[in-house]
Amino acid sequence: MTLVHLTLTVNGRAYDLDVEPRRTLADALREDCGLTGTHLGCEHGVCGACTVLVDGEAVRSCLMFAVQCDGAVIRTVEGLAGADGTQHPLQAAFSAEHALQCGFCTPGFLMLAAGALEADPGVVGDAERLRELLTSNLCRCTGYEAIRRAVVAAAGDQHPGQPESGR
Amino acid sequence: MSATSDVIGARLPRREDDRLVRGAGCYVGDLRIEGCLDAVFVRSEAAHGVLRGVDLDAARALPRVAAAWAYADLPFLPDVPPMMDPDSVRGRPWPPLATDRVRYAGQPVAIVVGDDRYVAEDARDAVRADIDPLPVLLDPTDAAGSDVQLFPGSGNVAAEKEFGDPIDGAVWEQATVVVEASYRQQLLAHTYMENRAILVRPEDDGGLTVWVSHQAPHRLRRDIAGGFGLREEQVHVIVPDVGGAFGGKSETWPEYFVVVAAARRLGRPVRWLEDRAEALTGPPHGRGQNQRVRMAADADGRILAYELHIDADVGGYPHTGSFVPMATSMMATGAYAIPQVHVRTRAVVTNTAPTAPYRGAGRPEAASAIERTVDLLAHRLGRDPGEVRRRNFIWPDAFPYDTPTGFTYDSGDYAKALEVALNELDYDGWRAEQARRAAVGEPPIGIGLCTYVERSGAGEEFGAVEACADGSFVALSGCCSTGQGHETSFPQVVAAVLGVEPQRVRLIERDTAIIPQGIGSFASRSMQTGGAALHRAAGRLIDAARQRIAERWAVPVAEVTYEAGVLTAGERSASMADVAAGGVLRADETYAPPEAFPFGAYGAVVEVDPELGKVSVLRLVAVDDYGVVVNPLIVDGQGRGSTVQGIGQALYEDVRYDSDGLVETRSLLDYLVPTISELPPTRFAETCTPNPNTPLGAKGAGEAGCIGAPPAIVNAVADALGLRERDALQMPLTPYTCWSAAR
Repeated sequence: MTLVHLTLTVNGRAYDLDVEPRRTLADALREDCGLTGTHLGCEHGVCGACTVLVDGEAVRSCLMFAVQCDGAVIRTVEGLAGADGTQHPLQAAFSAEHALQCGFCTPGFLMLAAGALEADPGVVGDAERLRELLTSNLCRCTGYEAIRRAVVAAAGDQHPGQPESGR
Repeated sequence: MSATSDVIGARLPRREDDRLVRGAGCYVGDLRIEGCLDAVFVRSEAAHGVLRGVDLDAARALPRVAAAWAYADLPFLPDVPPMMDPDSVRGRPWPPLATDRVRYAGQPVAIVVGDDRYVAEDARDAVRADIDPLPVLLDPTDAAGSDVQLFPGSGNVAAEKEFGDPIDGAVWEQATVVVEASYRQQLLAHTYMENRAILVRPEDDGGLTVWVSHQAPHRLRRDIAGGFGLREEQVHVIVPDVGGAFGGKSETWPEYFVVVAAARRLGRPVRWLEDRAEALTGPPHGRGQNQRVRMAADADGRILAYELHIDADVGGYPHTGSFVPMATSMMATGAYAIPQVHVRTRAVVTNTAPTAPYRGAGRPEAASAIERTVDLLAHRLGRDPGEVRRRNFIWPDAFPYDTPTGFTYDSGDYAKALEVALNELDYDGWRAEQARRAAVGEPPIGIGLCTYVERSGAGEEFGAVEACADGSFVALSGCCSTGQGHETSFPQVVAAVLGVEPQRVRLIERDTAIIPQGIGSFASRSMQTGGAALHRAAGRLIDAARQRIAERWAVPVAEVTYEAGVLTAGERSASMADVAAGGVLRADETYAPPEAFPFGAYGAVVEVDPELGKVSVLRLVAVDDYGVVVNPLIVDGQGRGSTVQGIGQALYEDVRYDSDGLVETRSLLDYLVPTISELPPTRFAETCTPNPNTPLGAKGAGEAGCIGAPPAIVNAVADALGLRERDALQMPLTPYTCWSAAR
């Protein structure tokens, strides 16, 4: 199959790749760029584990072809922490709130939330919008409540105010 | 943490998290092994049939395809070994690639190995399997009585067993009330976020390195070594980070043997990364039981007899699922003292994908049967379901309690758990609201309870603790975390015994070259059994250090005291690091504490839309008793996660087959696991009845919500609908199911 030359800019670094037109963005990131933090959970666009930011928008990288992203600015979980290694507020909050267990879905949730909070931190102030955001992705371990708390905490609100949050 | 006395019970944040939130974890698919090829499987598209041939020529002709092999090309493939119950597989061999017959849709027929998954899948699609269809059996009760035999000459009932004693027929005639019901435990898909994965690298010395997403690496090592004629030490099994398991990664699956065979024949590393359609098609699936119950009681609601018949669907091969319904049978009586009990259980082969333990592994099925039946009994008697439960509980002074089915319950206070649950739920308030709604004609609500007992832990586990000359300690465990946070919680156990900071203890597990033996992590056994082993090992390490110091200082060992990492005798003292500097200081322990019996009480309030049948869970309360909890942060998380999986079974999840035996739910748009939108308002609480059989006092945790939540929700829906007959109300409680049941 003919290979296509393209450049992916991922977390500020340019990757020159020759890929088949059918190669997904997820496979290009994982196999060609070596960025294995982006996980593949279903490969049909439902679970959201492979969520990355393309030009600031959260996308399922299993549903995009790499060739669609030539020249685009891509951010993955490896790019969340600061240059000195300091955890992003979302990363710190996910750990503090125990919003991960096996950790497989975590990069997708982190990138989903990172994109949303950057676009509008107010999303956490509206329970319905926050639910609508987080219902995009699947987690089989945590039962989600801790993920919700973590996203709210990372947005700067220390009082999630979920009446049903239990302990 | 400054003090160490309260290390047990501390909500320490997890050490695992830092790498996982950075995307720096390493799951099998993240490994970069030089020269590794990708394998995919050609799978049967028929549920039952005679395999006439497999045409691999077109696949082999494609570029970048290293191999395309059917069974005939890999004649030394060993059969899949039975997981627990060798009798059930006699006369029912499971070749890892089909030989002359296929028995479930999705059964591997050939393996294709290519440079990457793209070319391997191209080649897979070019393979033609010639299969003559045979009649398909999808229901275990039908299959048990069918003339169609999956394994000619061996019958479809792979295992059959009775528990308790046959019930005196007079009981049924003389009882004030006898209720009968049929329940269906639907098939579920485990739906770990990381599908199954294995990477096998043949080594120059003829051995193998195996990286695998697994729960029981030592068992897999034994099975691979046994199957391929290797010594166990030639097979090095490493379990890297695991993206969830829930019982589906304890097994030695056929694909693993085929990947081993392919890697050895090619002399190159080969990996198999299962895709989601394969995972949902199964195996594994969980649950899958037809249950028939009968219960008799006197006018006061005292249960006189309980009878349970189970036909369990174990799929096309009984190797991984036949023991699960036996676990259900032994838990049949739950929290109740019942004079006469009889259980008859059959594990039946069908043309569904093989079943396996799924979170709860037999206990949710048992709890569901008895809890639904007790509720039905209360309804028939016109009594409060909480009151009927209290009347029949095994009371705290009765422990240890021998059940009629063969278990010995260690401890419990079931009435207390129920009391906490009723308070947390505001039971009386909701009953008043229920009456108010009924009076004014508002949509009905229902309240459902479940008071469950489960069994946790089984067998032995290995644990060792070594003191290092730099002042740190290494704990080694035969357990195998698949997301439960052992790197955090096991050091807490060791640190508590040693009286040192938890940060000074680090854990090693999941590597058969370092851990000499192990059983693994399933059946909620890790902390109860593996934690108890580490607890003892740490104690023995102190003893060993005192002995060594006594010899060094020439004093009686009784004069050497230990506290917080320091040994003292008279004026002299030495640290554990000092002792370790003089030679290896390590204590190994293999410990097999008895099984434990965690318990709890769940309550649910639901509203059912009378027009649409839609269930809304207005309130869910979970009260669990795990004995001593080492890290509440972790245990709470598992309680919540398992509860949401339980909600999934109650309301959404269902592996559906069409009449030809093909799985219809092959994507996550068809197989519905809960999202955040399906979360009801939930409250969690605990009681604590320490395990009396170990110094640590921990019982198992991690599966409770899958056990307690479904019956509570189903009972609430039955209550809302006021159903006298409840056989139409089978999980998952879809709108159509509820709408139909109400009519």
